[in-house]
Amino acid sequence: MNEVKIKSNNLNVFYGDKQALFDVNLDLNEKEVTALIGPSGCGKSTFIRCINRMNDVIDICKVTGNIEIDGVEINDENLDVVSLRERVGMVFQKPNPFPKSIYDNISYGPKIHGKGETKSELDEIVERSLKKAALWEEVKDRLDEPGTGLSGGQQQRLCIARAISVNPEVILMDEPCSALDPIATAKIEELIDELKKTYTIVIVTHSMAQAVRVSQKTGFFHLGKLIEVGKTEKIFKNPDNKMTQDYITGRFG
Amino acid sequence: MSNEHTVKSYEEELQFLVDSVIKMGSLTESQMVDSMDAIIKVDKDSIDKIIKSDDEINKFRSKIDTQIMTLLVKRAPMAIDLRETISSLKISQDLERIGDLSKSNAKKVKPLPLDLPEELLSNLKRLGELVIKQLNDVLDSYVNKNYDKAKEVWEKDEQVDDLTYIAMESVIDFLSKDKKNLDFSTHLIFATKNLERAGDHITNIAESICYLIKGEYLKGSRPKGKVIQE
Repeated sequence: MNEVKIKSNNLNVFYGDKQALFDVNLDLNEKEVTALIGPSGCGKSTFIRCINRMNDVIDICKVTGNIEIDGVEINDENLDVVSLRERVGMVFQKPNPFPKSIYDNISYGPKIHGKGETKSELDEIVERSLKKAALWEEVKDRLDEPGTGLSGGQQQRLCIARAISVNPEVILMDEPCSALDPIATAKIEELIDELKKTYTIVIVTHSMAQAVRVSQKTGFFHLGKLIEVGKTEKIFKNPDNKMTQDYITGRFG
Repeated sequence: MSNEHTVKSYEEELQFLVDSVIKMGSLTESQMVDSMDAIIKVDKDSIDKIIKSDDEINKFRSKIDTQIMTLLVKRAPMAIDLRETISSLKISQDLERIGDLSKSNAKKVKPLPLDLPEELLSNLKRLGELVIKQLNDVLDSYVNKNYDKAKEVWEKDEQVDDLTYIAMESVIDFLSKDKKNLDFSTHLIFATKNLERAGDHITNIAESICYLIKGEYLKGSRPKGKVIQE
């Protein structure tokens, strides 16, 4: 088992009066894929949004407890959130490329983070990121075309390329394939398998089969609580908790 | 399967699969009882019926295979449902093999003389009774999802091994007295061995049931009797 990259201790999240997460203690291992599963509203997306402090943008949201990345508390108010988000990239349910060219979609992040000073440096980042996202061959001759003109699956890989362009350590994926067809999904899943060699990946998914295919560790959330976490194979063959079993076998009532 | 599936037809499909395995098990048990009876009574009239009943068992096996394929494709079962599906596949395979062995034993009745000495058959009869009891118990543990009972069957196979050894010895003794006995004694030796092999399939079924219930395989090696060791 790899070393722990991200550690949450007694993490609680409140949206106003409503508590969305209850004392979540979860370790995420470096260069591994962790899948988070659970019914809608169970807190899995809220949890990953804590890892890059996306919840900061919601005024009524309050977070207690802590999350450490490489042993450093990220909820510290002195922490530079921009540089945190540089280290922790995110890919969303619906592909959301910028209304810009394919090239600009990738080069935007490195530019604002001061990572590509010259055109040739940016060219190199764009090519490397698109190659890593397995999109280079498909778009290399039309980098100046709008990103929004790509197919859904290509757009999602473009968003992944955009996320990795700033060389993050962690990639959060919130249902990245739910808007994609099976072939595009398969491509993303294959890509995830490749990306885990370099990055720590956390994926929220409603597809049990996808969780089994892509992850090494799975956590099951229900009503804001982490019910069970363990090796993916164990969770899907023989979970310890009855609630987990009822959920993954479709008996949840 | 305590709670019901959200999709009711999934629940029914799984139950239908389990019911098929139970029915197949009960057919296999009757066939074994009949074939043992035929040997002990040297009842040549029942041979055809027993051979025919094996066709029924084989049909069940194909039916179960189809049900399993459909379940896998339609439902992609997980956890307990996956284990239920996979153990049905394995148990039906073992039942089919037990059926083949009972059929093979029925065929061995044909060359037997009608006046077989009682003492020659008594050990074989004891062995047959034990294997039938083992099959009955293992099927019972499947129906009731009883882990302890399945494990008990698994451990008790040692007695099957020991009785096989004793039954073999009595046939060999008989054979050594007069070479004229060679032909049918050989058949009896094979019949004895078939029962021992049926016993092994029963332990496989017990293992599948334990895995189905707890999600882990029985640890350690199974106690083994005399025949296996020699």
